[in-house]
Amino acid sequence: MIYKVSYAVIGRPHPGTIVNQDTPPRTGDQVKLDSEMFEVVEVVDLIPPRGDFAYLHATCRPVQDEE
Amino acid sequence: MSVTEFLRRSELFSGLKPEQVEQIATLGREVVYNAGDAVISEGDPSDEVYIVCSGMVEVDVSKGAIPDVPGPPQFSSLVRLGQGQVFGEMALVDRGARSATVQCVEDGTVLYVIPREDFWALCAGNHHIGFVVMRNIAADLSFKLRHRNLRVRLEGAGGGT
Repeated sequence: MIYKVSYAVIGRPHPGTIVNQDTPPRTGDQVKLDSEMFEVVEVVDLIPPRGDFAYLHATCRPVQDEE
Repeated sequence: MSVTEFLRRSELFSGLKPEQVEQIATLGREVVYNAGDAVISEGDPSDEVYIVCSGMVEVDVSKGAIPDVPGPPQFSSLVRLGQGQVFGEMALVDRGARSATVQCVEDGTVLYVIPREDFWALCAGNHHIGFVVMRNIAADLSFKLRHRNLRVRLEGAGGGT
């Protein structure tokens, strides 16, 4: 399965990212979007899977927010 | 990963047979860009579609057309696109001018570039390929719109940009 993920960032200006990946994001994961690290705070199925693809939306926030 | 293997992992070609993806792989070429390189510019004529093999690009639109105002144009970032994502597909469908500027944000970003007319000729010669690719383009545009809607919703809730 290929996971097409829509990442939206809260807490700071960021346009969000769409990327294909081999594993799904999970709440609590830390993900690197371009050069920055973010923590995933929510993951939802955006639309039903089709063929080899699953479609997810992940909301995340900058890691440094907790520091 | 070969170009064919990579293209098979792109949603744009999901549902095609391996030999059909191999046909498509003969049409394009890989191009490497560095951070800050503009791939396409808003308003330019369009004749190619792009797939991100690796790295990252950013899609920007200008904030209003004010040609008489001096200084560099102001841009608003719509989204960043990573591995497997396609851009320039609107021109594949409507042949209009570029609706956004796309620039690389990571050094060594590799894009697979397919000339529109060659791609159209392939689709015209094989309607199954044409149907599958157009369906996938529609799904991709829908996904991007959903992404933007969610961003706007988060911004409205005071949590986003």
